[in-house]
Amino acid sequence: MKSDSSPVWQRHASAILSGFLGDWLEARKNPLAVPMELFHGQSPLDHRAPQLDVPGSTLCLSIHGLMELESVWTFPGQSDLSYGSLLTSASREITPLTLRYNTGRPIYRNGEALAALLEELVSAWPVPLERIVLMGHSMGGLLIRSACHYGQAQNHRWMERLTDCVYLGSPHDGSWLAKGAKATADLLNRAPRDYLRVAGEVIDLRSEGIRNLSRGDVVPADQGEPPLVPGVRHFVVCGLLARSRTHPVNALFGDALVHEASARGEERTGWKLAGMASFPGVDHIRLAHHPDVARQLVEWLL
Amino acid sequence: MKTGNEGGREWWLGVADVLTHGIAQGAGKLERVHLSIADETFNVLHRIPVTRPWSQAVRFTHHNISKLSYRSVAAVADGAGQLLTPPDRRR
Repeated sequence: MKSDSSPVWQRHASAILSGFLGDWLEARKNPLAVPMELFHGQSPLDHRAPQLDVPGSTLCLSIHGLMELESVWTFPGQSDLSYGSLLTSASREITPLTLRYNTGRPIYRNGEALAALLEELVSAWPVPLERIVLMGHSMGGLLIRSACHYGQAQNHRWMERLTDCVYLGSPHDGSWLAKGAKATADLLNRAPRDYLRVAGEVIDLRSEGIRNLSRGDVVPADQGEPPLVPGVRHFVVCGLLARSRTHPVNALFGDALVHEASARGEERTGWKLAGMASFPGVDHIRLAHHPDVARQLVEWLL
Repeated sequence: MKTGNEGGREWWLGVADVLTHGIAQGAGKLERVHLSIADETFNVLHRIPVTRPWSQAVRFTHHNISKLSYRSVAAVADGAGQLLTPPDRRR
């Protein structure tokens, strides 16, 4: 497939707008809506006919978060270095891929689409695939849980090869910012003055994807709460703004967007995690490309 | 697959769609904010005996001129949006 030739700023603008209004953009067939696509390095990869120089027997798919692009995984100043590429340099059997998607769509719809995409990818993979590792930053972690739910419900073959899921700063119990936006909008919508209600309506323009982040919804509300997929190792990585664990800033803001308790899914029942690590001094975005996190991932996954 | 030029043109048409729709919808919301804030002042003027006789007439004129202005902006933005939207995407 041809590489994406649009300027970087246009791609970022599309990602940000898709995060804010992605479901609306999609409904209007607006070309700014980011389509779901796989990438190998900088190049798009056709999931129905993946062409790779050295396809490995292990697939490591990294999934970005709200309003981000796959570039969030690259280390600053080192465009060819990411968690995926570090794992590959330690084991040639690992093929690192990244996903790009419209983060404003409801998480469950992206989850369904990702499950279907993985099923087709596994069918078309050029060599026998033995292992799949999914790594999600922020909303990407919720997308993994959603895709696993649909993959399991539809008896997808990729689920048999799934061995590890890594959630980096994922708001399993919701993000304080998304909760704050919802609470503010609800309050303003009940205000007696029209100018205040308009402010509430403007906040309510936010996408379904953002709304899902207020409670960490990975499936529609009427489908309950899916458990973590059994037989798979689940790892949680949390960031904290301040270097001192006990600093009040950490209690107030967590990694800036997600509290440590939410990243650990402490309100979820029946979760058995294979590993959990917190990184004081690493904020939400840097969780996707930090050397300390990389060392932890190598230790867990290799 | 689209060429770079086609992709770039599509992208800008997408921006135009967002902008025209945003201006049309934003004008409607601004109209409501403007009129409801103005009502706060007109309500005060209505309670003062000296200004009461004129306040209703001024409110009426103010509101109608404002509505005309905001709705004209919304209509122009809407029209521009329709013109810039490819036929297969028109609603």
